[in-house]
Amino acid sequence: MKQEDLRFYGEFAPKLEEIEQLLMREIQAMLDSISTDPETALAEHIKCRVKSADSLCEKLRRFELEETAACAIKNLSDIVGVRVITHFVGDIYTVLELIEKNDHWKVVTVKDYIANAKPNGYRSLHVLLNLPFGVGGIDAINVEIQLRTIAMDCWASLEHQLKYKKHIKNTALIVDELKRCADEMASTDLSMQTIRDLIQKG
Amino acid sequence: MKVLYAEDERQLSVAVVEILKMEGFDVTPVYDGEEALEALDKDYFDAVVLDIMMPKKDGIEVLEAMRQNGNHTCVLMLTAKATLDDRITGLSTGADDYLSKPFAMKELVARLQSLIRRNNDYRHSVIKYANIELNSNTCELRSDKGSLRLNNPEAELLTYLVRNVGRIFSAEEINEAVWNGKESPEKAELYLYYLKNKLRQIHADVAVVIEDDTFELKEELS
Repeated sequence: MKQEDLRFYGEFAPKLEEIEQLLMREIQAMLDSISTDPETALAEHIKCRVKSADSLCEKLRRFELEETAACAIKNLSDIVGVRVITHFVGDIYTVLELIEKNDHWKVVTVKDYIANAKPNGYRSLHVLLNLPFGVGGIDAINVEIQLRTIAMDCWASLEHQLKYKKHIKNTALIVDELKRCADEMASTDLSMQTIRDLIQKG
Repeated sequence: MKVLYAEDERQLSVAVVEILKMEGFDVTPVYDGEEALEALDKDYFDAVVLDIMMPKKDGIEVLEAMRQNGNHTCVLMLTAKATLDDRITGLSTGADDYLSKPFAMKELVARLQSLIRRNNDYRHSVIKYANIELNSNTCELRSDKGSLRLNNPEAELLTYLVRNVGRIFSAEEINEAVWNGKESPEKAELYLYYLKNKLRQIHADVAVVIEDDTFELKEELS
């Protein structure tokens, strides 16, 4: 965490980092339980982050909530986030099964934006977990695991840049073109999945 | 469907243009052979109707010049002299069909439609230029060094550019010519940039050259 984030999260910071590390460890263990061979590994990579104070405060303001770490932990779900990037669409659902099977995790909701893509073309699968917290009188915290393919991740990072860049000419055109790219990538993702299934079936 | 109609008899021309327009053709009338060649140089047509007897350059000369310039647009010859020799000269020079004057309007329309249909079937296969070819059924673009899939608007744009190599366009002109103005100049510009990158990716010997808001497909060794 950066200095300003440590300052903002204060007494909660160590626990948030602990949860982040725990999630990473557990997810890595799940993935390894299927395969440790890089060629057949479920995930291309995983990454995690604690939301920066800046973007957290922006979100709290948007929701008209008090701009404190405690309020954020009680009300928001993406303070701690993990992202699992897979090669293939099918692997996303395999990872989801593993998460749902994990006894000490409580899955709150699963939002499947792959089956139901957002209107802008965004695709990912979001799993919300409820984990014990136990700091400053807060019992539990919601965390989010995002699962997506490399193609979806690449798309989302470009879309993210669009969202946070204020003045772009032809925004409407770029939005349309991003949507088209998302659909084409989704189609290619499925073709690749189908080919992989065929190869594996022999 | 864009048709160039070269006919020196003004009254006949006016009547034919009216009827072809009613049938949904986009007709450009010209009145002598030189004008016909100028129009062909400037614009793309789906079909050309050439009167054989015309001032400055006759229909056969126009047709010869077209084919020499590598213009393979389908041509319907109109001939007043329905002699066998005339018909044979026209067809052997590269005309796709002929009609003897006087003709029934219905027959002209039917023959034009059939010519364009046949030509489109052919055109829907493979377009080749320099070291690239574009399969317009599958939108596969390939060179001797690589291949890619284009999307439909990209394929339409490239098809147009290949037919107009060396001509310099603005984004507005591209939008008008390729998509009848239904898209936007901004989109045309973006798609020209897409094509520029995609042609480079497959080491094409043609490049989209972009300079001061103008665009041109140019032969360029990769």
